[in-house]
Amino acid sequence: METFFTTSDKIQHIIKSFNLTKTLFVSSIIIGEPHIGKKSLARYLFPDAPIVSGANQEEVTQALENHDELIITDFEKLTNQSNFDFSNKRIIATANYIGNSSLIDDLFGFIYTMPPLVERPDDVTYLTKHFAQEARSILMLDSLDIDLKNIPLNLSKNSQSLKKSIYLYLVQHSMDSSEIEEVLYHYLLKNLDGNDAYREYLSLYEKPLIQAGLKKFGSQLQLSQVLGINRNTLRKKIYEHHID
Amino acid sequence: MDINFEAFVEWDNSPFILFNNSGKILYLNNAAEILFGYVSKKELYDIAVSYAPQSFGYKTTSLTLNYDSFIFHAITIGYENEEQISIRLYNTPRVKPTRKLETDKFIMTDINILLEANIALFKTKNPNPLKLLTDQDLPPFKLDQNNFSKLLRKVLNAFRSSDSIDISLKLLIGQHVIIEDKKEPLIQLSIEANGRYNDADEEIRLLAAESQIKSLLKEHSIKLEIPLIT
Repeated sequence: METFFTTSDKIQHIIKSFNLTKTLFVSSIIIGEPHIGKKSLARYLFPDAPIVSGANQEEVTQALENHDELIITDFEKLTNQSNFDFSNKRIIATANYIGNSSLIDDLFGFIYTMPPLVERPDDVTYLTKHFAQEARSILMLDSLDIDLKNIPLNLSKNSQSLKKSIYLYLVQHSMDSSEIEEVLYHYLLKNLDGNDAYREYLSLYEKPLIQAGLKKFGSQLQLSQVLGINRNTLRKKIYEHHID
Repeated sequence: MDINFEAFVEWDNSPFILFNNSGKILYLNNAAEILFGYVSKKELYDIAVSYAPQSFGYKTTSLTLNYDSFIFHAITIGYENEEQISIRLYNTPRVKPTRKLETDKFIMTDINILLEANIALFKTKNPNPLKLLTDQDLPPFKLDQNNFSKLLRKVLNAFRSSDSIDISLKLLIGQHVIIEDKKEPLIQLSIEANGRYNDADEEIRLLAAESQIKSLLKEHSIKLEIPLIT
Protein backbone atom coordinates (compact mmCIF):
# COMPACT_ATOMS: atom_id res chain seq x y z
CA MET A 1 0.00 0.00 0.00
CA GLU A 2 1.10 3.52 -0.77
CA THR A 3 2.24 5.49 2.24
CA PHE A 4 2.51 9.21 2.47
CA PHE A 5 4.56 11.14 4.96
CA THR A 6 4.14 14.79 5.74
CA THR A 7 4.25 17.13 8.70
CA SER A 8 3.15 20.12 6.65
CA ASP A 9 0.06 21.74 8.17
CA LYS A 10 -1.26 22.62 4.76
CA ILE A 11 -1.03 19.06 3.50
CA GLN A 12 -2.54 17.71 6.71
CA HIS A 13 -5.55 19.92 6.05
CA ILE A 14 -5.71 18.66 2.47
CA ILE A 15 -5.65 15.06 3.71
CA LYS A 16 -8.35 15.81 6.27
CA SER A 17 -10.56 17.40 3.65
CA PHE A 18 -10.05 14.45 1.28
CA ASN A 19 -10.79 11.94 4.01
CA LEU A 20 -14.05 13.69 4.77
CA THR A 21 -15.14 13.78 1.14
CA LYS A 22 -13.89 10.28 0.29
CA THR A 23 -17.39 8.89 0.03
CA LEU A 24 -18.96 11.92 -1.59
CA PHE A 25 -19.28 12.57 -5.28
CA VAL A 26 -17.22 15.69 -5.57
CA SER A 27 -14.39 16.51 -7.91
CA SER A 28 -11.10 17.76 -6.51
CA ILE A 29 -7.87 18.96 -8.01
CA ILE A 30 -4.43 19.19 -6.41
CA ILE A 31 -2.28 21.86 -7.95
CA GLY A 32 1.42 22.36 -7.31
CA GLU A 33 4.93 22.25 -8.76
CA PRO A 34 6.15 19.02 -10.34
CA HIS A 35 7.53 16.31 -8.02
CA ILE A 36 5.99 17.41 -4.75
CA GLY A 37 3.96 14.25 -4.21
CA LYS A 38 0.58 15.10 -5.74
CA LYS A 39 0.17 11.74 -7.43
CA SER A 40 1.48 9.83 -4.40
CA LEU A 41 -1.02 11.65 -2.23
CA ALA A 42 -3.90 10.83 -4.58
CA ARG A 43 -2.86 7.18 -4.71
CA TYR A 44 -2.45 7.05 -0.96
CA LEU A 45 -5.94 8.48 -0.41
CA PHE A 46 -7.67 6.52 -3.18
CA PRO A 47 -5.73 3.26 -3.50
CA ASP A 48 -8.46 1.57 -5.54
CA ALA A 49 -9.13 4.34 -8.01
CA PRO A 50 -7.85 3.79 -11.55
CA ILE A 51 -5.24 6.28 -12.73
CA VAL A 52 -5.08 7.90 -16.14
CA SER A 53 -2.77 10.59 -17.44
CA GLY A 54 -4.00 13.77 -19.04
CA ALA A 55 -1.31 13.22 -21.65
CA ASN A 56 -3.58 10.59 -23.14
CA GLN A 57 -6.81 12.33 -23.95
CA GLU A 58 -8.61 9.33 -25.33
CA GLU A 59 -7.80 7.21 -22.32
CA VAL A 60 -9.23 9.88 -20.02
CA THR A 61 -12.45 10.21 -22.02
CA GLN A 62 -12.92 6.46 -22.00
CA ALA A 63 -12.12 6.11 -18.29
CA LEU A 64 -14.68 8.82 -17.50
CA GLU A 65 -17.33 6.78 -19.25
CA ASN A 66 -16.48 3.61 -17.38
CA HIS A 67 -15.65 4.76 -13.87
CA ASP A 68 -17.28 6.87 -11.21
CA GLU A 69 -14.04 7.21 -9.30
CA LEU A 70 -10.94 8.24 -11.16
CA ILE A 71 -7.53 9.83 -10.67
CA ILE A 72 -6.45 12.03 -13.58
CA THR A 73 -2.82 13.13 -13.45
CA ASP A 74 -1.30 15.93 -15.57
CA PHE A 75 -4.71 17.50 -15.91
CA GLU A 76 -3.16 20.60 -17.48
CA LYS A 77 -2.23 18.53 -20.54
CA LEU A 78 -5.84 17.84 -21.47
CA THR A 79 -7.06 20.10 -24.23
CA ASN A 80 -10.72 19.13 -24.06
CA GLN A 81 -11.28 20.02 -20.42
CA SER A 82 -14.37 22.07 -21.21
CA ASN A 83 -16.21 18.99 -22.53
CA PHE A 84 -16.08 17.16 -19.24
CA ASP A 85 -19.03 16.61 -16.98
CA PHE A 86 -17.93 15.56 -13.52
CA SER A 87 -21.33 15.65 -11.90
CA ASN A 88 -21.94 12.71 -9.58
CA LYS A 89 -18.43 11.40 -10.09
CA ARG A 90 -15.49 11.28 -7.75
CA ILE A 91 -12.64 12.81 -9.70
CA ILE A 92 -9.23 13.46 -8.22
CA ALA A 93 -7.06 15.42 -10.61
CA THR A 94 -3.50 16.62 -10.26
CA ALA A 95 -1.92 19.44 -12.22
CA ASN A 96 1.40 21.25 -12.26
CA TYR A 97 -0.31 24.56 -12.90
CA ILE A 98 -3.74 26.05 -13.46
CA GLY A 99 -4.23 26.42 -17.19
CA ASN A 100 -7.66 27.98 -17.56
CA SER A 101 -8.59 29.17 -14.09
CA SER A 102 -12.26 29.83 -14.74
CA LEU A 103 -12.65 26.36 -16.21
CA ILE A 104 -10.92 24.74 -13.23
CA ASP A 105 -13.11 26.82 -10.98
CA ASP A 106 -16.16 25.59 -12.81
CA LEU A 107 -15.26 21.90 -12.89
CA PHE A 108 -13.95 21.30 -9.40
CA GLY A 109 -15.64 21.56 -6.05
CA PHE A 110 -12.36 21.39 -4.21
CA ILE A 111 -9.22 23.12 -5.43
CA TYR A 112 -6.15 22.35 -3.33
CA THR A 113 -2.78 24.03 -3.63
CA MET A 114 0.04 21.82 -2.46
CA PRO A 115 3.15 23.62 -1.20
CA PRO A 116 6.58 22.88 -2.76
CA LEU A 117 9.32 21.16 -0.73
CA VAL A 118 11.04 24.48 0.01
CA GLU A 119 8.11 25.29 2.26
CA ARG A 120 8.18 21.90 3.98
CA PRO A 121 11.52 21.60 5.85
CA ASP A 122 10.41 18.63 7.96
CA ASP A 123 9.28 16.74 4.90
CA VAL A 124 12.67 17.45 3.29
CA THR A 125 14.44 15.94 6.30
CA TYR A 126 12.24 12.87 6.08
CA LEU A 127 12.72 12.50 2.32
CA THR A 128 16.47 13.02 2.62
CA LYS A 129 16.69 10.15 5.09
CA HIS A 130 14.46 8.03 2.93
CA PHE A 131 16.40 8.69 -0.31
CA ALA A 132 19.77 8.26 1.43
CA GLN A 133 18.68 4.86 2.70
CA GLU A 134 17.41 3.89 -0.73
CA ALA A 135 20.62 5.12 -2.38
CA ARG A 136 22.83 3.21 0.05
CA SER A 137 20.92 0.05 -0.65
CA ILE A 138 20.87 0.46 -4.45
CA LEU A 139 24.48 1.61 -4.71
CA MET A 140 25.56 -1.00 -2.15
CA LEU A 141 27.12 1.59 0.12
CA ASP A 142 25.81 0.35 3.44
CA SER A 143 29.10 0.85 5.18
CA LEU A 144 29.64 4.39 3.88
CA ASP A 145 29.76 6.83 6.76
CA ILE A 146 28.21 10.19 5.82
CA ASP A 147 26.51 12.97 7.67
CA LEU A 148 23.24 13.81 5.89
CA LYS A 149 23.56 17.41 7.08
CA ASN A 150 26.56 17.91 4.81
CA ILE A 151 24.70 17.03 1.63
CA PRO A 152 23.98 20.14 -0.45
CA LEU A 153 20.29 19.55 -1.14
CA ASN A 154 18.88 20.78 -4.40
CA LEU A 155 15.16 21.54 -4.10
CA SER A 156 14.78 23.42 -7.38
CA LYS A 157 12.86 20.50 -8.86
CA ASN A 158 11.51 19.25 -5.55
CA SER A 159 11.86 15.54 -4.82
CA GLN A 160 13.44 14.84 -8.22
CA SER A 161 16.38 17.19 -7.75
CA LEU A 162 16.56 16.29 -4.07
CA LYS A 163 16.93 12.63 -4.91
CA LYS A 164 19.54 13.37 -7.56
CA SER A 165 21.61 15.50 -5.21
CA ILE A 166 21.63 12.73 -2.61
CA TYR A 167 22.62 10.00 -5.09
CA LEU A 168 25.36 12.19 -6.56
CA TYR A 169 26.74 13.02 -3.13
CA LEU A 170 26.86 9.37 -2.16
CA VAL A 171 28.52 8.37 -5.41
CA GLN A 172 31.06 11.19 -5.14
CA HIS A 173 31.96 10.23 -1.59
CA SER A 174 32.37 6.56 -2.28
CA MET A 175 34.59 6.57 -5.38
CA ASP A 176 38.08 5.17 -5.22
CA SER A 177 40.90 6.43 -7.43
CA SER A 178 40.33 3.88 -10.18
CA GLU A 179 36.68 4.93 -10.43
CA ILE A 180 37.68 8.58 -10.56
CA GLU A 181 40.14 7.74 -13.30
CA GLU A 182 37.41 6.01 -15.18
CA VAL A 183 35.10 8.99 -14.84
CA LEU A 184 37.86 11.22 -16.20
CA TYR A 185 38.63 8.77 -18.97
CA HIS A 186 35.05 8.81 -20.25
CA TYR A 187 34.78 12.53 -19.88
CA LEU A 188 37.97 13.15 -21.81
CA LEU A 189 37.14 10.58 -24.43
CA LYS A 190 34.00 12.49 -25.16
CA ASN A 191 35.31 16.04 -24.98
CA LEU A 192 39.00 16.06 -25.83
CA ASP A 193 39.61 18.39 -28.80
CA GLY A 194 41.35 21.61 -29.88
CA ASN A 195 45.03 22.59 -29.81
CA ASP A 196 45.55 23.58 -26.18
CA ALA A 197 43.83 20.60 -24.58
CA TYR A 198 46.66 19.63 -22.25
CA ARG A 199 46.60 22.93 -20.39
CA GLU A 200 42.82 23.17 -20.57
CA TYR A 201 42.09 19.78 -19.10
CA LEU A 202 44.84 19.91 -16.55
CA SER A 203 42.52 22.11 -14.52
CA LEU A 204 40.32 19.05 -13.99
CA TYR A 205 43.07 17.82 -11.72
CA GLU A 206 44.71 21.01 -10.50
CA LYS A 207 41.65 22.98 -9.48
CA PRO A 208 40.13 20.45 -7.07
CA LEU A 209 43.62 19.64 -5.83
CA ILE A 210 44.29 23.22 -4.78
CA GLN A 211 40.76 23.83 -3.52
CA ALA A 212 40.82 20.77 -1.32
CA GLY A 213 44.36 21.57 -0.19
CA LEU A 214 43.46 25.11 0.84
CA LYS A 215 40.42 23.84 2.71
CA LYS A 216 42.48 21.18 4.44
CA PHE A 217 45.66 23.10 5.24
CA GLY A 218 44.43 26.65 5.46
CA SER A 219 47.47 28.64 4.26
CA GLN A 220 49.17 28.76 0.89
CA LEU A 221 52.53 28.41 2.63
CA GLN A 222 51.61 25.14 4.23
CA LEU A 223 49.91 23.85 1.10
CA SER A 224 52.95 24.57 -1.07
CA GLN A 225 55.00 22.47 1.34
CA VAL A 226 52.50 19.63 1.28
CA LEU A 227 52.34 19.72 -2.51
CA GLY A 228 56.07 20.07 -2.78
CA ILE A 229 55.87 23.04 -5.16
CA ASN A 230 57.13 26.60 -4.99
CA ARG A 231 54.86 29.11 -3.27
CA ASN A 232 54.95 31.40 -6.31
CA THR A 233 53.96 28.55 -8.57
CA LEU A 234 51.03 27.78 -6.26
CA ARG A 235 49.95 31.43 -6.21
CA LYS A 236 50.13 31.57 -10.01
CA LYS A 237 47.93 28.49 -10.30
CA ILE A 238 45.44 29.88 -7.79
CA TYR A 239 45.18 32.97 -9.96
CA GLU A 240 44.93 30.92 -13.19
CA HIS A 241 42.06 28.81 -11.89
CA HIS A 242 40.23 31.75 -10.34
CA ILE A 243 40.28 30.22 -6.89
CA ASP A 244 39.31 32.52 -4.02
CA MET B 1 -68.28 58.15 -3.00
CA ASP B 2 -66.00 58.00 -0.07
CA ILE B 3 -63.40 55.24 -0.24
CA ASN B 4 -61.22 54.24 2.64
CA PHE B 5 -57.85 53.37 1.17
CA GLU B 6 -56.27 52.28 4.39
CA ALA B 7 -56.82 48.55 3.85
CA PHE B 8 -55.12 48.77 0.44
CA VAL B 9 -52.08 50.36 2.00
CA GLU B 10 -52.18 47.91 4.88
CA TRP B 11 -51.97 44.92 2.55
CA ASP B 12 -49.62 46.43 0.03
CA ASN B 13 -46.59 44.22 -0.44
CA SER B 14 -44.30 47.27 -0.32
CA PRO B 15 -43.57 48.83 3.06
CA PHE B 16 -45.33 52.10 3.93
CA ILE B 17 -44.65 54.13 7.10
CA LEU B 18 -46.06 57.38 8.39
CA PHE B 19 -43.87 59.30 10.87
CA ASN B 20 -44.61 62.37 12.96
CA ASN B 21 -42.13 65.27 12.92
CA SER B 22 -40.07 63.78 15.75
CA GLY B 23 -39.63 60.42 14.04
CA LYS B 24 -42.30 58.55 15.94
CA ILE B 25 -44.26 56.02 13.95
CA LEU B 26 -47.88 56.96 13.51
CA TYR B 27 -48.78 54.18 11.12
CA LEU B 28 -47.08 51.26 9.40
CA ASN B 29 -48.44 48.57 7.12
CA ASN B 30 -47.82 44.82 7.34
CA ALA B 31 -44.83 44.81 5.04
CA ALA B 32 -43.20 47.61 7.04
CA GLU B 33 -43.74 45.69 10.25
CA ILE B 34 -41.64 42.80 8.91
CA LEU B 35 -39.04 45.20 7.55
CA PHE B 36 -38.51 46.70 11.00
CA GLY B 37 -37.04 43.38 12.07
CA TYR B 38 -34.04 44.32 9.91
CA VAL B 39 -33.73 48.10 9.96
CA SER B 40 -34.09 50.73 12.67
CA LYS B 41 -36.88 53.26 12.86
CA LYS B 42 -34.30 56.04 12.94
CA GLU B 43 -32.60 54.94 9.75
CA LEU B 44 -35.82 54.99 7.75
CA TYR B 45 -36.90 58.29 9.28
CA ASP B 46 -33.55 59.82 8.37
CA ILE B 47 -33.93 58.57 4.81
CA ALA B 48 -37.46 60.02 4.65
CA VAL B 49 -36.21 63.41 5.81
CA SER B 50 -33.20 63.42 3.48
CA TYR B 51 -35.20 62.54 0.37
CA ALA B 52 -38.26 64.65 1.19
CA PRO B 53 -39.47 67.10 -1.50
CA GLN B 54 -38.49 70.72 -0.97
CA SER B 55 -42.02 71.78 -0.14
CA PHE B 56 -45.33 70.02 0.46
CA GLY B 57 -45.95 67.20 -1.95
CA TYR B 58 -44.62 63.84 -3.06
CA LYS B 59 -41.25 62.92 -4.52
CA THR B 60 -40.04 59.58 -5.84
CA THR B 61 -36.33 58.85 -5.92
CA SER B 62 -34.61 55.87 -7.51
CA LEU B 63 -32.03 54.35 -5.21
CA THR B 64 -31.05 50.90 -4.05
CA LEU B 65 -31.66 49.99 -0.45
CA ASN B 66 -30.65 46.66 0.98
CA TYR B 67 -31.84 45.29 4.28
CA ASP B 68 -31.04 41.64 4.69
CA SER B 69 -33.11 39.89 2.04
CA PHE B 70 -35.17 43.00 1.33
CA ILE B 71 -34.09 44.94 -1.71
CA PHE B 72 -35.77 48.19 -2.73
CA HIS B 73 -35.19 50.15 -5.90
CA ALA B 74 -37.05 53.39 -5.17
CA ILE B 75 -38.80 55.38 -2.45
CA THR B 76 -41.60 57.93 -2.42
CA ILE B 77 -41.55 60.53 0.34
CA GLY B 78 -44.53 62.75 0.91
CA TYR B 79 -45.81 65.33 3.38
CA GLU B 80 -48.85 67.57 3.31
CA ASN B 81 -48.28 69.38 6.58
CA GLU B 82 -45.47 70.01 9.05
CA GLU B 83 -46.59 67.22 11.37
CA GLN B 84 -46.47 64.08 9.25
CA ILE B 85 -44.15 62.54 6.68
CA SER B 86 -44.61 59.24 4.85
CA ILE B 87 -42.23 56.87 3.12
CA ARG B 88 -43.05 54.10 0.73
CA LEU B 89 -40.33 51.64 -0.33
CA TYR B 90 -40.61 49.82 -3.65
CA ASN B 91 -39.77 46.13 -3.62
CA THR B 92 -37.36 45.04 -6.31
CA PRO B 93 -38.88 42.08 -8.13
CA ARG B 94 -37.03 38.84 -7.54
CA VAL B 95 -35.69 36.95 -10.47
CA LYS B 96 -37.08 33.46 -10.36
CA PRO B 97 -34.59 30.80 -11.42
CA THR B 98 -35.70 29.62 -14.79
CA ARG B 99 -33.69 26.43 -14.60
CA LYS B 100 -35.57 23.57 -13.11
CA LEU B 101 -33.83 21.87 -10.22
CA GLU B 102 -32.82 18.39 -11.23
CA THR B 103 -33.41 16.99 -7.79
CA ASP B 104 -33.36 13.42 -9.03
CA LYS B 105 -29.66 13.88 -9.70
CA PHE B 106 -29.06 15.11 -6.16
CA ILE B 107 -27.46 12.82 -3.61
CA MET B 108 -28.42 12.46 0.04
CA THR B 109 -25.68 14.32 1.85
CA ASP B 110 -24.60 15.07 5.38
CA ILE B 111 -24.02 18.78 5.05
CA ASN B 112 -21.77 18.79 8.11
CA ILE B 113 -19.23 16.62 6.29
CA LEU B 114 -19.16 18.91 3.27
CA LEU B 115 -18.85 21.93 5.51
CA GLU B 116 -16.00 20.42 7.52
CA ALA B 117 -14.15 19.38 4.38
CA ASN B 118 -14.48 22.88 3.01
CA ILE B 119 -13.24 24.36 6.25
CA ALA B 120 -10.20 22.06 6.10
CA LEU B 121 -9.51 23.36 2.58
CA PHE B 122 -10.08 26.92 3.74
CA LYS B 123 -7.54 26.46 6.54
CA THR B 124 -4.83 25.89 3.95
CA LYS B 125 -5.39 29.51 2.89
CA ASN B 126 -6.32 31.21 6.13
CA PRO B 127 -4.64 29.96 9.31
CA ASN B 128 -6.64 32.30 11.56
CA PRO B 129 -8.71 30.48 14.16
CA LEU B 130 -12.41 30.20 13.44
CA LYS B 131 -15.45 29.29 15.47
CA LEU B 132 -17.84 26.68 14.20
CA LEU B 133 -21.23 26.12 15.70
CA THR B 134 -23.22 23.45 13.98
CA ASP B 135 -26.14 21.18 14.57
CA GLN B 136 -24.82 17.63 14.24
CA ASP B 137 -28.36 16.29 14.21
CA LEU B 138 -29.31 17.93 10.94
CA PRO B 139 -30.76 15.19 8.78
CA PRO B 140 -29.07 14.30 5.50
CA PHE B 141 -30.76 15.89 2.52
CA LYS B 142 -30.51 15.99 -1.24
CA LEU B 143 -27.79 18.13 -2.72
CA ASP B 144 -25.64 18.49 -5.81
CA GLN B 145 -22.45 17.81 -3.87
CA ASN B 146 -20.01 19.24 -6.37
CA ASN B 147 -21.99 22.42 -7.00
CA PHE B 148 -22.56 22.98 -3.33
CA SER B 149 -18.83 22.49 -2.65
CA LYS B 150 -18.08 25.13 -5.28
CA LEU B 151 -20.49 27.51 -3.60
CA LEU B 152 -19.01 26.83 -0.16
CA ARG B 153 -15.48 27.31 -1.49
CA LYS B 154 -16.37 30.69 -2.96
CA VAL B 155 -18.26 31.80 0.13
CA LEU B 156 -15.38 30.84 2.44
CA ASN B 157 -12.88 32.35 0.04
CA ALA B 158 -14.51 35.72 0.60
CA PHE B 159 -13.11 35.44 4.14
CA ARG B 160 -9.59 34.47 3.05
CA SER B 161 -7.90 37.18 5.09
CA SER B 162 -10.52 37.78 7.72
CA ASP B 163 -10.17 36.96 11.36
CA SER B 164 -12.65 36.27 14.14
CA ILE B 165 -14.62 34.15 11.72
CA ASP B 166 -17.84 32.69 13.08
CA ILE B 167 -19.55 29.93 11.18
CA SER B 168 -22.90 28.58 12.19
CA LEU B 169 -25.25 26.07 10.68
CA LYS B 170 -28.78 25.66 11.95
CA LEU B 171 -32.30 24.77 11.01
CA LEU B 172 -34.49 27.84 10.50
CA ILE B 173 -37.40 26.85 12.66
CA GLY B 174 -40.75 27.68 11.18
CA GLN B 175 -39.39 28.86 7.82
CA HIS B 176 -40.06 27.09 4.59
CA VAL B 177 -39.59 27.46 0.89
CA ILE B 178 -41.82 26.04 -1.82
CA ILE B 179 -39.92 24.05 -4.42
CA GLU B 180 -41.91 22.28 -7.08
CA ASP B 181 -45.09 22.58 -5.06
CA LYS B 182 -43.48 20.99 -2.02
CA LYS B 183 -42.90 22.82 1.21
CA GLU B 184 -39.27 22.34 2.24
CA PRO B 185 -37.65 23.35 5.55
CA LEU B 186 -34.68 25.71 5.44
CA ILE B 187 -31.17 25.46 6.85
CA GLN B 188 -29.14 28.57 7.40
CA LEU B 189 -25.39 28.68 7.01
CA SER B 190 -24.01 31.92 8.36
CA ILE B 191 -20.43 33.14 8.17
CA GLU B 192 -19.47 36.35 9.90
CA ALA B 193 -16.12 38.03 10.41
CA ASN B 194 -14.45 41.37 10.92
CA GLY B 195 -14.64 41.96 7.18
CA ARG B 196 -14.55 40.16 3.87
CA TYR B 197 -13.81 40.38 0.16
CA ASN B 198 -16.74 40.93 -2.17
CA ASP B 199 -15.02 40.19 -5.50
CA ALA B 200 -16.95 36.95 -6.00
CA ASP B 201 -20.34 38.13 -4.75
CA GLU B 202 -21.96 37.96 -8.16
CA GLU B 203 -20.71 34.39 -8.70
CA ILE B 204 -21.94 33.41 -5.25
CA ARG B 205 -25.38 34.84 -6.00
CA LEU B 206 -25.54 32.97 -9.29
CA LEU B 207 -24.32 29.64 -7.93
CA ALA B 208 -26.69 29.87 -5.00
CA ALA B 209 -29.65 30.79 -7.18
CA GLU B 210 -28.94 27.79 -9.42
CA SER B 211 -29.50 25.51 -6.43
CA GLN B 212 -32.49 27.51 -5.15
CA ILE B 213 -30.38 28.73 -2.25
CA LYS B 214 -31.09 32.23 -1.02
CA SER B 215 -27.90 34.21 -0.46
CA LEU B 216 -27.69 37.25 1.78
CA LEU B 217 -24.44 39.07 1.22
CA LYS B 218 -23.50 41.83 3.59
CA GLU B 219 -20.39 43.78 4.40
CA HIS B 220 -19.27 41.47 7.20
CA SER B 221 -21.26 38.35 6.60
CA ILE B 222 -22.67 35.89 4.12
CA LYS B 223 -25.76 33.86 4.85
CA LEU B 224 -27.10 31.01 2.80
CA GLU B 225 -30.60 29.66 3.20
CA ILE B 226 -30.52 26.13 1.91
CA PRO B 227 -33.65 24.12 1.19
CA LEU B 228 -33.66 20.80 3.00
CA ILE B 229 -34.91 18.62 0.18
CA THR B 230 -35.51 15.02 1.20
